[in-house]
Amino acid sequence: MARFLVRRLFFAIFLVFAVSSAALFLTRLAPGDVTAQLGAFASAAEVERTRAQFDLDRGPVAQWALWMSRAARFDFGSSFLYNRPVGALIRGAAANTATLAVVALVGATLLGIPLGIITGSRRGTASALIRGVSLVFLSIPPLLTSLLLVFIASRTRWFPAGGMTSVNAVDLSWSAWLADVALHLPLPALALALPLAATFERLQAQSMTETINQPFVLAAVARGVPANDVIVWHAWRASLRPICAIYGLAIGALLSGSFVVEYVTAWPGLGRLMYEALRARDVYLVAGCAAMGALFLAIGSLIADMLLAAADPRVREAQAS
Amino acid sequence: MRKAGLTLLGLVIFLAIAAPVLAPNSPDKVFSDLLYAPPTDLHVGYIHPVRLVSRLERRFEEDEAVRVPMELFTRGRFLSVDDTQGPLLILGADAFGRDIFARLLYGARTSLALAVLSTIGALLIGAIVGGIAGYAGGLVDELLSRFSDFILVLPAIYVALALRAVMPLVLPASTVFAVLTGIFALMGWPIVARGVRAIIASEREREYAMAGVALGAGPARLLLLHLMPAARGYLVVQATLLLPAFILAEATLSYVGLGFPDSVPTWGTMLQEASNVALVGDAPWMLAPAAAIFLLVLAVNLTVQGVGRAPVQLEP
Amino acid sequence: MTALLLVGGLVIYWQSSGDSGPASAPATARRGGQVVASVRGEPRSFNRFVASDLTSVLISELTQGRLVRINRNSFELEPWLAEKWESSADGRTHTFHLRPGVTWSDGTPFTSADVLFSLRAVFDPKVESPIASALRVGGQPIRAAAPDPQTVVFTYAGPSGPGVGLLNSLTILPKHKLEAALDAGTLATAWESKTPLTEIVGTGAFVLREYLPGQRLVLDRNPRYWRKAADGQALPYLDRLVLEMVPEQNAELLRLQAGSTDLTYTELRSEDYVAARRGEEEGRLKVIELGVAPDADAFWFCLKPDAKKGDKRFAFVQKPEFRQALSYAVDREAFAETVFLGAAVPIWGPITPGNKVWFWPDIPRYPHNVDKAKEILKSIGLEDRNANGTVEDASGTEAKFTVITQRGIGSYDRGTVVLRDAAKAVGVTLDIAPLEFGAMLKRLMACDYDAIYMRPLFTDLDPAGNMDFWLSSGSTHLWNLEGKSPATDWERRIDTLMLEQASSIDPDRRKMQFEAVQKIFAENVPVLYFAAPRMYYAYNARLQGVVPSVQRPPVLWNADSLSVTP
Repeated sequence: MARFLVRRLFFAIFLVFAVSSAALFLTRLAPGDVTAQLGAFASAAEVERTRAQFDLDRGPVAQWALWMSRAARFDFGSSFLYNRPVGALIRGAAANTATLAVVALVGATLLGIPLGIITGSRRGTASALIRGVSLVFLSIPPLLTSLLLVFIASRTRWFPAGGMTSVNAVDLSWSAWLADVALHLPLPALALALPLAATFERLQAQSMTETINQPFVLAAVARGVPANDVIVWHAWRASLRPICAIYGLAIGALLSGSFVVEYVTAWPGLGRLMYEALRARDVYLVAGCAAMGALFLAIGSLIADMLLAAADPRVREAQAS
Repeated sequence: MRKAGLTLLGLVIFLAIAAPVLAPNSPDKVFSDLLYAPPTDLHVGYIHPVRLVSRLERRFEEDEAVRVPMELFTRGRFLSVDDTQGPLLILGADAFGRDIFARLLYGARTSLALAVLSTIGALLIGAIVGGIAGYAGGLVDELLSRFSDFILVLPAIYVALALRAVMPLVLPASTVFAVLTGIFALMGWPIVARGVRAIIASEREREYAMAGVALGAGPARLLLLHLMPAARGYLVVQATLLLPAFILAEATLSYVGLGFPDSVPTWGTMLQEASNVALVGDAPWMLAPAAAIFLLVLAVNLTVQGVGRAPVQLEP
Repeated sequence: MTALLLVGGLVIYWQSSGDSGPASAPATARRGGQVVASVRGEPRSFNRFVASDLTSVLISELTQGRLVRINRNSFELEPWLAEKWESSADGRTHTFHLRPGVTWSDGTPFTSADVLFSLRAVFDPKVESPIASALRVGGQPIRAAAPDPQTVVFTYAGPSGPGVGLLNSLTILPKHKLEAALDAGTLATAWESKTPLTEIVGTGAFVLREYLPGQRLVLDRNPRYWRKAADGQALPYLDRLVLEMVPEQNAELLRLQAGSTDLTYTELRSEDYVAARRGEEEGRLKVIELGVAPDADAFWFCLKPDAKKGDKRFAFVQKPEFRQALSYAVDREAFAETVFLGAAVPIWGPITPGNKVWFWPDIPRYPHNVDKAKEILKSIGLEDRNANGTVEDASGTEAKFTVITQRGIGSYDRGTVVLRDAAKAVGVTLDIAPLEFGAMLKRLMACDYDAIYMRPLFTDLDPAGNMDFWLSSGSTHLWNLEGKSPATDWERRIDTLMLEQASSIDPDRRKMQFEAVQKIFAENVPVLYFAAPRMYYAYNARLQGVVPSVQRPPVLWNADSLSVTP
């Protein structure tokens, strides 16, 4: 197990390195650069100065080397858009996104997996209805789901229509501040969790259907084990393999932040930061966000593999060997 | 159920193929007085023409004094009205005053073909890479898995932008189609590969696979004939997830300039244009493409439901 | 686009001395309360001398002051930190008397030393201030001297058209907080957005209280603000002004409707008008017409001879007749109807009716006339010889062009399509290539395009403030950026007229000269204009004292006089 973890750690570091480097090069490759943010007809001197400030006057390789040497000392460059260090920006945004991701993941799991068990093992109106709702959430673009939720929030005033804190948060005590954040959480969390729950439901249902047809389940039914127990204890556990794999992906994706949801609900997270950085060609912020995304994905993969091992003893043995 | 799915799927494909006959108007035709016009009220055999009252306030009224007959199989179309009398807009008009119904039918052609081809591409690559990773295990598995992680977190938008920059300014629809299919397949496979890898890795340890090895089956044969079938159900569900995702992703890439010319409607771009909630509240018909995507996904879902075997009936 | 900025209009030539103009708020204005406004981007810096993005400019207007202000509604010059002034007959010397009793928000008195410091900082070569060019007369920096703490004498190198109005651009920053940075050569990085907010003092109506990047800026009332309402009440009325970062425009509108935002950042999109009106009917919102936008969507060909060497089409693109024919081809009424849902007025030049002072209604027009357009094309040797729908010259070179534009902006999407169809009718083929902003800009700057459709924003309503657009050497001379010499005779004539215009102090003469410029421009149509949108704006109905402006920000320019009903 220790060897396995060391190997994974090595690969995670390599992944972060490769992705951030690739992001840096791709930023240079795409037409235009961050000076477009100065406006369509900024003065040549200002453009020149900005290019120098972000090392854009060097070749891509030279810039990359410079950036790497600084990154080794944990200096990830600064952002043009926010005019502050990338490291600090990403730390703040990642914390916000992580809060959101945990809530959304728990919500999607509690909703999607049980519903998938039902639709995967039963027929009838309820099953069909759940499946229909799932398909609806999969057919609507995330942008529209988020906007519709903001629309509902603004009409009903059940939740604040966006943001992470109220405008007067500056005057709140920290416990009141926490309550304030908690009030702002449901909207973006739902926007993230609903399509994800639908994905979980679909995968779980398929996997469940297949497992139920396997001989060991049929055998259990034949032995007279009550049907519902069979489903939960035998079939479900055996059906978890693909879910685990996707689960890791979902963790990685959620932690990297969904730009659409964060953008529309004005949640100050990593996804929105990345999106704004991409749009502005804010080169070091792009590289930093990509690195953070890679790190989260690596963590997600690791969790997925561990879940997989826990769910399926055969894999555990294979990994140990 | 499966029959219903096949029927629905057949219907969608038929609608796409028969678009030139079924659409009452050309998808490019602009009714400049009818921007955001609501669906025309259909009466038995006739419609009332719609007139603009206020453009900014999007108010229209029906001219109830006039009856324009709807005719079957005239003007080369299944159902149409005389153009000079006022158009038949079954699903209303979009921001340019174009027939949403016609664009929906024509859009089905591009969007369906694009999504299906991209999905097949992504599934193929994903199954191969995931299969090899899961079967080989060890370092090969690690390398392939990390490579797929790498693809997953790469800022795909920049890939598209960089690609766009080296292509000519005006792209014919066929080029756009090929490029998009390529990008989708190359960006979509890692998700597939992950699940397949997990399934194969665990199948490989099972008795029948062990027996296969003992009997001298080659790795390719074992993988393809004995292990891959276990991933079939998973692949099918992934297909139903990727299909709508690709239809929608087309709109994102059109934002960076890799889009079809406006004479080629697609569901993704139509929905993108409808993503204005203030508008959707007043003009819900603009969401028609979402309904179309839903129908398609439903059809595919119903069709593939029984892949593997039919679920055991546990409760009466 | 994030493009050009409104650095404050220098509009009317006006010499006056007067008292503080009454603030335009209702007599019943109530003290207290807060207003939430949305902004779209982060401030680059709190130092107006180095940042000119919209959010930085807005914050500077809320927290800082200047000697004189151009009223964004009436376009008249108002005394601000200066109480009155006198100008010499030759228009080169202006003596300002500062308002007594004004203090910075930390209690330090405001004196003429602050004015001298600000002028020195703006022209400091290390600062490279983007506002420096607006404060030059005849290429020379404005100079100033302070005979006593309450008096400043400005000396211009020559006569200036905008006169005292130039000083509207000069934000006055505190010497006691920033002089050390200027002397150390670090003013460009002083007052960055991560500076502790207590360091940032001003003479404006508000002071910064909290900045959460990506979330909001909170501004509190400046208790030491100098301005009083007409009834003697201390301004501002509001206790707090919050600028929320709402990046997405649809979400912004929804929050306005929900009442969680009181003011939006920009005017309504024409497709949102219905929703806002409904909000008004329900009593939650108020919808006003700001007026006709001073800027309009424009279409032009790259006319840089060096960049188009070897391009046979350049032979006819550079003929004014070709561009006139295109102008005749477009039905501007229909254009306004389709592109702006009817909420627009047809225009024939860059100055729209929104620019009340400089708009010239008698500009030469090109009424929609397809036959005339075809006739003109034929007169310069372009006709459809092979009957393929596109006109070509005798050697077979077709009039076929690619129009680049920015992807995803409603009026650009519709405008290019209408234009393409109009051009098609006279045999000119336009292919549309919508690009992402950065990619479009790169082509624009390199003249790597046939034609382009976008909305360039004027920095200033006074033509003398837009010399970069009019002069052939200018950096925003759209069709031929930074030409080494005038490419054509008519551009040379415009150059001469504009230089005269900018250094003339006779308002009537300036107006006449500028009309001559507009006439030459309209005859040669280097840039085609079609329609200027009417701007509508929605805000929460509880807001009082709103004075609309066609310039951005539409309402917050007057923030000290805003109040709310309970």
